[in-house]
Amino acid sequence: MMTTTILEPLRWTASPARVAVCTNGNGTGAYYQVIAPRNAERLCVGRPVEEVPRILTILSPAHHLVSALTLDRLFNVEPPPPAVHMREALVRTQFFKHHIRILYLLLSSSENPFRETGRVRRPGRTELLPLHVLEEIKHHEALAQEAETILGGRADHPVSAIAGGVGRFLKEPHYDRLSEIAGRCLEFSVSTAKLLNETLFGNSKQANRLFDFTLPSIPSMASSSDGGTVVLRGPDGKEIERFAPADLFDKVGLEREPWTYQPFAYVKSKGWRSVFAGAPESFFSVGPLARINAGEALPTPLAEEERQRTAADLGAGPYTTLGAAYRALTIELIGAAEGMTDLCRREQLTGPSIRVIPTEMGRTATAALEAPEGLIAHWYEVDDRGIVQNIQVLDGAAGNNALRCLLVRQAVETTGAVGMNVKDVKRRIEEILLPF
Amino acid sequence: MPKRTLAVYTATGCPACENGILDTHYQVSSLTPWVDVVFWPHLLGGEWEDLEGVDRIDLCIFAGALAGEADREAAARLREKSEVMIACGACAAFGGLPGLINLRPESTGKAAETGDLEGCPPLPAVTRPVAGLPGACTVDYVIPGCPPPQNLLWAAIQATLCGGEAPARISFAASRLPDSLASAIAAGVLPNKGSVFGGEKGVCASCSRRKEEKKFTSFHRPYELNPDSGRCLLEQGLICQGIATREGCGGACTAVGAGCRGCFGKAENVFDAGAKMVSAISSTFDATDSRTAEGLAGQFLDPAGTFYRYTLPEQCVLMSAGTKE
Amino acid sequence: MNGFEPKIVAFLCNWCSYVAADAAGVARLPQKPNVRVIRVFCSGMVDPSYVLKAFSSGADGVLIAGCHPGDCHYISGNIKAMRRAPLLKSLLNDLGVEDGRFRLEWIAASEGPRYASVIDEMIEKIRILGPFVPATSRTMKGAV
Repeated sequence: MMTTTILEPLRWTASPARVAVCTNGNGTGAYYQVIAPRNAERLCVGRPVEEVPRILTILSPAHHLVSALTLDRLFNVEPPPPAVHMREALVRTQFFKHHIRILYLLLSSSENPFRETGRVRRPGRTELLPLHVLEEIKHHEALAQEAETILGGRADHPVSAIAGGVGRFLKEPHYDRLSEIAGRCLEFSVSTAKLLNETLFGNSKQANRLFDFTLPSIPSMASSSDGGTVVLRGPDGKEIERFAPADLFDKVGLEREPWTYQPFAYVKSKGWRSVFAGAPESFFSVGPLARINAGEALPTPLAEEERQRTAADLGAGPYTTLGAAYRALTIELIGAAEGMTDLCRREQLTGPSIRVIPTEMGRTATAALEAPEGLIAHWYEVDDRGIVQNIQVLDGAAGNNALRCLLVRQAVETTGAVGMNVKDVKRRIEEILLPF
Repeated sequence: MPKRTLAVYTATGCPACENGILDTHYQVSSLTPWVDVVFWPHLLGGEWEDLEGVDRIDLCIFAGALAGEADREAAARLREKSEVMIACGACAAFGGLPGLINLRPESTGKAAETGDLEGCPPLPAVTRPVAGLPGACTVDYVIPGCPPPQNLLWAAIQATLCGGEAPARISFAASRLPDSLASAIAAGVLPNKGSVFGGEKGVCASCSRRKEEKKFTSFHRPYELNPDSGRCLLEQGLICQGIATREGCGGACTAVGAGCRGCFGKAENVFDAGAKMVSAISSTFDATDSRTAEGLAGQFLDPAGTFYRYTLPEQCVLMSAGTKE
Repeated sequence: MNGFEPKIVAFLCNWCSYVAADAAGVARLPQKPNVRVIRVFCSGMVDPSYVLKAFSSGADGVLIAGCHPGDCHYISGNIKAMRRAPLLKSLLNDLGVEDGRFRLEWIAASEGPRYASVIDEMIEKIRILGPFVPATSRTMKGAV
């Protein structure tokens, strides 16, 4: 006889999702279920390939850019430097907005953020944080959104990147505004990291049940810092494999399970097995923690400083706690703002040309990009008219699906063991899934 | 005035609509004196059971398309409690991008049917075509767009929740709304049911590009040429659906040199966006014999997937027939 | 598909094709009774939306008939119809309307017999295709 407890709807998920806890004779198993299909790949089949960057923004804004990169490969064009910088600045801005949003959600996770006044309780703590902290986060998120609109045409679903470059020059007032926004974001990211270190993360001695949650031990995948190769690392941080982004879909497959609509990304050479078959080496995780766990020095000084500070607090990586996943967000937040200040300068964004008109078209192309949510990649196959025949998409949801399923199962086991009630279990699960 | 109750939910789509509600330089907090958020699971958490304790929802903002039975059930639950229900964004209003799957409907629903569950929890079924919110329940108002511009979102919130006494900070919102909507907001009464928070004319009315009635002899794909700045994209041989699409976005995409793809749905006096586009595009053909016309039409790829990019389930007269109960 | 009688909506130009249809009747040419004729002033005024509306309202086929190129009463109305037809056809194909259900024909006032034969030909072709059902409701019948 099987009994099922359903926790739904889950907070902060891109698609409607729930947790089903099944109990039968053999014990208890929790499942992370995405309960309606988005079928993003199928939306693109039959469309002209140049439309894909606009369609797949439904997955996340960064998919616009990885799609444009894939089109560059398909049409074999190299965008001119100002276009590269504009795209890159847009990615950095997306990083900033994505990460600051997650930190905002974390801070407001146990309270209703629509209260008039007062203070917010920090997750897992009893001390309170002034509410204006949230207001300031919102304000800077809005600034980042303004920068996204300038760089991408629209914020959540950008339209500006096209094969061979970007669609338009920036206008005169944009340059000053962009550098102003970048400067304010940088200042804010540094002060936010400081505040969070002081009041939220604390130091490693202060035990905190949420941040001490141990993550499942599975490999991780991230681009090298120059973006030239993709590296798969074991849970111990040792490199397993290194390959070119163009080969990504030879190495990574996507498979479905009958109990969720979200496909799983897995390592092809290890073969496809169910996520609960006890073979975590078949899977991997992506995202900020995966990138920080690469253990490479960061190219920007302030982010590197923050990374060193984390290393001083938590020891050398790879990190395996939830707290580290949140700290990876603050490190990258600073890095993103530094990237924005570096790129949002007039000399970076101006030049004689912003696009190259393609003269040829290939039949297949792949590109990968480190997006805020993790490594994402597209592969297209087109016919002679440029109509999409086949497409594969690695998005953050597929990349981390195995991790999320394992996290949910582990969270239910550990919280069930200490006898938390259902509502608290659900909240805990949400807070554990949030940084992935 | 007692606080009004608000619910926000997203079915299958993306978080952009909810972001829109949160993002207008974060004026959402200035709503606090007016509004009590009773159900916003993606932001505040909570469970469906919480809804049972709520007597009535004054306004429900529903985003996302209905891709499976789980989404339909969510829509039905919220509709039952809600006084006013707004379909927010192209997905909820017209089926949106997820609705494109209806062009190949045989490919939906495999995951639910195949595979042995062996003690795993079952999934809600996907047996019907993707629909917008109007495919499952009565919709009081529509906020179009993918995602909707924040001024229109705020105009809708102002119109339905603030009773004519909106905080100054959010009163900027009513630009380019039809008179009837704008005056309803000013008067503090609910607009006519079925109103759409967008303009009445086509996007061309607010697009800054110049139209010259030029004919062209071949289509271009967006990657093939650098469009002249300031000139109508359609007249340069690039597909732009501004003429068939409701205005309200201010021509955000055409300003960046990207053709309109109709995320606001069809304009008020358009019967069917695809038919309108066929008419608009073919009238620019430079062709006096049928072979030239066929040649030009042959260059144009994927008409249904382009003309109904965001609206296939609810606004295409030939495809929408199947989505109603 | 026993007993299936296709419904065809025919938009006929007032100056040529409608006269041809009339002539066909006056001449007592045998023709099948499946046509609903809509008299329009010019084939050029048949907006693509009329055609979509006809199909969505239950038509199994749509015919637009006008004057031969060069003979238009309004100089170039039929050229407009001719420009629209191919793109409209490809849109209809995408939406599940098979070839043969939509036709554009030039039928002059004197061509009564031709009118009768075009109609008969269309009816026979559509009889084989069967009734027009929009794609979404077609696939969903078994599933719901």
